[in-house]
Amino acid sequence: MGSAIEAKTHKNMPGADKEADLTERIEAFLADLKRGGCGTGPIRGSGETARETTALLRKVTAQARWSSAGDLMEIIRKEGRRMTAAQPSETTVGNMVLRVLKIIREEYARSRGSSEETDQQESLHKLLTSGGLSEENFRQHFVHLKANVIEAINELLTELEGTTDNIAMQALEHIHSNEVIMTVGRSRTVEAFLKDAARKRKFHVIVAECAPFCQGHEMATNLSKASIETTVIADAAIFAVMSRVNKVIIGTQTVLANGGLRAVNGTHTVALAARHHSTPLIVCAPMFKLSPQFPNEEDTFHKFVSPHEVLPFTEGEILSKVNVHCPVFDYVPPELITLFISNIGGNAPSYIYRLMSELYHPEDHDL
Amino acid sequence: MDKDELVEYFRTQVRQDPEVPSAVAAIRTLLEFLKRDQTGETILGLRENLTQTIRRLEEADSSVAVSSGGELFLRFISLTSLEHPDLSQCKKVMVERGELFLKKISLSRSKVAKLCHTFIKDGAKILTHSSSRVVLKVLESAAADKKRFTVYVTESQPDSAGRQMADKLQNLNIPVTVVLDAAVGYIMEKVDLVIVGAEGVVESGGIINKIGTYQLAVCSKAHNKPFYVVAESFKFVRLYPLNQQDVPERFKYKADTLKAVEDLAEEHPMIDYTPPSLITLIFTDLGVLTPSAVSDELIKLYL
Repeated sequence: MGSAIEAKTHKNMPGADKEADLTERIEAFLADLKRGGCGTGPIRGSGETARETTALLRKVTAQARWSSAGDLMEIIRKEGRRMTAAQPSETTVGNMVLRVLKIIREEYARSRGSSEETDQQESLHKLLTSGGLSEENFRQHFVHLKANVIEAINELLTELEGTTDNIAMQALEHIHSNEVIMTVGRSRTVEAFLKDAARKRKFHVIVAECAPFCQGHEMATNLSKASIETTVIADAAIFAVMSRVNKVIIGTQTVLANGGLRAVNGTHTVALAARHHSTPLIVCAPMFKLSPQFPNEEDTFHKFVSPHEVLPFTEGEILSKVNVHCPVFDYVPPELITLFISNIGGNAPSYIYRLMSELYHPEDHDL
Repeated sequence: MDKDELVEYFRTQVRQDPEVPSAVAAIRTLLEFLKRDQTGETILGLRENLTQTIRRLEEADSSVAVSSGGELFLRFISLTSLEHPDLSQCKKVMVERGELFLKKISLSRSKVAKLCHTFIKDGAKILTHSSSRVVLKVLESAAADKKRFTVYVTESQPDSAGRQMADKLQNLNIPVTVVLDAAVGYIMEKVDLVIVGAEGVVESGGIINKIGTYQLAVCSKAHNKPFYVVAESFKFVRLYPLNQQDVPERFKYKADTLKAVEDLAEEHPMIDYTPPSLITLIFTDLGVLTPSAVSDELIKLYL
C-alpha cells in the first residue's frame, strides 16, 4: 500500500496526493467501523459516524472523476457497498449513502428543469399518466451539477450537526415538573434531551442499567452531573418499577421502515412493561437513523458479541455444557411506540413510511 | 359495441387465460370498447358510455376487483382528457397509454412476489386462505429461491377453493396440508406467518377478501403472528367500510345470486372485510406498505 502511494506521487503530484489521502481516509474509516462492533457500542456515536460518512462522500464527489450523474451514483454506490459491508449493523452509514443518492437525483432533476421532482415515487397516478417506459438514465452532463451536489451535501452536514440540539429543544414540551422518567442504557440523544429539560424543570429519572454492558451506569453518572435526580435499577426490576413511571424515553440504534425499532438489548422488555401500564413510550431518534429495511432478514438483523460478558471464560466447567448467547439488539414492534421525536418534530409510528419516502428513493433501497 | 358483446369479450379473456386478474380483464375489455367505439362525440358522452359498460360488467362479475379496475379506467380517462381536450387525439393517446398501462400491470404480480418472498424464512410454516394467484406466485418465488417451508391452506367453503390451491402447490413440490375453516384457531399456534391475497384493498388500509379472512386475521392477532397481505396496486378501491355491514351488497354475493334471489338475508356472503389494525404489512407492486400508507396512494391518484 505504501509503495503504491509513493509510485503514484512520483507521476502526478497534487492530484494523486489527494486521491491517496482520500483512499487512506476511507480505509481508516472502514477499519474503525469494523473494530467498533463490540457490545459497548461503537467507538464513536452514530451521529459522528453519519457526519464522517457524509464528509467522506462529499470528498468522493469532489475528487472522483465523473462526467454524468449516472457515473457519480455508481461511484457512490460502490463506496457505499464497501462501507456497509464493513459493519452491516451500523445502518447510519447506509442511510447517509442513500441520502446522498437522493440528493444527486434531485439536483439532476432540477438541472434538467423537469417538474417531476416530487413524482419520483412509484404511484398509481404515475402508472396511469406516464407517457412511455422512459427509464431515467442520468446520462446528461451538466456543468453546475458538481457544485450543486456539493452544496446540497453541505446542507445535509449542517442538518446533521444540529440534530441533537433540535431534538433537545423539544424537551420542554414533553417533560413536566415532578415527573418520573424511565430510560434504558445510554443514548447521547436522550441525555441531551433530559439535560435540556432539566434547565427549567425538576424531575426524576430512573435508568435501567442494561446488562451485561451496563451502559446505564455511565448515563446515570452524566445525568447526575447535570443535577438531575437519578436512580439506577437492575433490568429485572423494570416491570416492578414501571407502575411509578410517568413516561419512558428511549433512544434507538435504528428506526425500521415499518416504524419498529432496532434498539439496545432490553428495550423490548421496557416497551412491553410500558404497554402493560399504559405508559407512553417516546423514542428520541434523529432522521439519519431512519432505515428502509424491514425486520425480516434474520441474518443481518441480529448481532451477537462475545458471551464473555454473560458467562466469563473462567467458568470453564459450565462452559462446555451450556450454550451462551449475548445479543446486542432487540426488535420493538411499532404498536408499542407512542411517539417518535426527531429533529423535524414529533411523529406517530404510522407516519414513518411518509418520512421514508421523503428521504430516500425507492430504487436505491438495495444498494 | 354492444353490451353483450363486451361481456362475452370479458368472459373470453378470463376463460382463455385463467391466470389473468379480473381487474386486468375488465380494463382490457374497456380498452377494446374504447378502440371500437364510434358513437362518442364528446368526452362526457364517452364517460357515460363507459360508466354504463362498467355497470354491465359488474353485473356479469360482481367481484370488487372488476369495480376497482373500472374506476381506475375512468380515472385514467379523466386524467388523459384533461391534457388533450380534442376528442380524436385524446382517444389515440388513451389507447396508447392504455396498452402501456396494461403492459406495466401485467408485471405487477412478479414485482409483488419479488418483494414478498424475502419475508419467508427457511423452515417457515405458512398459513394461507382459499386460492389466491398472487400468493401462489409468492410461494413459487420462495421455492425457486431454494427455501424450505410448509403451507397450510384453509379449505375455504362454500366452493372448496382451498383444495385447488393445495393441488397447485403440490405440483410445485411444496408440502401442503388442507385444514378445515374451523381449524384455524387450532392450527394457529403451529404457524409462523399468515399470507393472504386480497380482492380489494380499501382506503383505510383494510382488505376485502374471501369469507373467513377476518377470522384468520383475528386469530393471528391473538397469537401475535404477522399477517401479510399481497395485492397488486390496481386493487385499491375507494371504499371506506367501518364494519362488515358497510361493505356494499353488490360485492358480497355472486352476480347470479344477486339477480336470482329476492331476500339476500338468507344468502351466505362470499366476502368479508378485515380492518387495518389486524394487518401487519401490505405487499404491492408500489412497494411494501403499512396499512396507513394505502390512503396516501389513493389520495395521490383520485384527488
